[in-house]
Amino acid sequence: MKCLTILLLALALPGAAAATDYTVQADASTLGFAGTFQGEAFQGHFGQWSAAISYDDTDPAQSKFDVEVILASARTGDSDRDSTLPGPDFFNTEKFPKAHFVTTGFHRDGAQMIADGQLTLRGVTRPVSLKVDFKPQGDDATLDVSGTLQRLDFGVGGGEYADTSVIGADVQVTAHLQLATK
Amino acid sequence: MSLRSNPRQWGSVAKFFHWTIALAIIGNGLFGLLRDLASSPMQKINWMALHKSIGITVLALVLLRLAWRWYDGRPREESAPRWQQWGARAVHALLYLLILAIPLSGWWFNSVTGKPLQWFKQFNLPALAAKNDELRHFAHAVHEYLFWLLILLLVAHVGAALKHHVFDNDDVLRRMLPFARSRNPPSSEEDRR
Repeated sequence: MKCLTILLLALALPGAAAATDYTVQADASTLGFAGTFQGEAFQGHFGQWSAAISYDDTDPAQSKFDVEVILASARTGDSDRDSTLPGPDFFNTEKFPKAHFVTTGFHRDGAQMIADGQLTLRGVTRPVSLKVDFKPQGDDATLDVSGTLQRLDFGVGGGEYADTSVIGADVQVTAHLQLATK
Repeated sequence: MSLRSNPRQWGSVAKFFHWTIALAIIGNGLFGLLRDLASSPMQKINWMALHKSIGITVLALVLLRLAWRWYDGRPREESAPRWQQWGARAVHALLYLLILAIPLSGWWFNSVTGKPLQWFKQFNLPALAAKNDELRHFAHAVHEYLFWLLILLLVAHVGAALKHHVFDNDDVLRRMLPFARSRNPPSSEEDRR
């Protein structure tokens, strides 16, 4: 009897506190990045990525983001740069076609929700924290996420390209997701 | 040697402009033409960043030089057949025009390719035109052919200077050389100027 109670509780508890699962409306969602080259900012975006989003604003511990990005889909509006990015010195897409971000927890910094997670990029896994702005819209919602990465933490633009006086060290990542309840 | 030019000599400011701009243009021409010898894409990026920085410097120096020339004047023209005097004036005017137009066309080329323009990693300059892939090759051709036209004029310019020096035995070349003394001592009348 005691065993059964524990089993029932174990089954019931995650269900009771479940966050909402959302589908990402790809057409209305963007995953972008911004860096600097020779003192000038440039913007880019990934054309191909997918995200599994579970979110509960009141009980963020139950939330989870799991994002996969096809690195070869990066576009910045400059043909020289776009042909260089997939190469071995930058994303090295032949060896590491995808980047992966998965949350390990959420915390609040004042009113700001922060998602803590692990980003795997170019074979390197590092902790990354992102600001989260979740806005419910009836059953649907928008989710804006942003953060700053150090490109050299992941060896993006290593070797000769490591010169941060030419290619800036910081890369801002921003995502806007249009979510629909599953 | 005085800062300002007099009827017999170019002043040291005019000489400074002449020779620094000459050296910068020759060096930058080599940089531009030999860019594909760079051993890596990043080295090429750095070479071209220097090329652009030097080009912007030349543009600024030419503008200062023209202002100075307007204020300073020039030594008197040596007696020569009329066609040679007019030829010299025409070549000088074209040289001034080209050393303005070449950096400006480079700036324009850089703008239509959508590249940043940074001066020795210190500050950025705005684009002269919007990014336009269709103009990319044309703008590059303008930039490069203007340079070849400059080289053609330089042959005439240097050739004429050497002709004056070697065959005419006059001061046309000497009065522009840094540290050179004129062949003919100044007359007392000019000393008093």
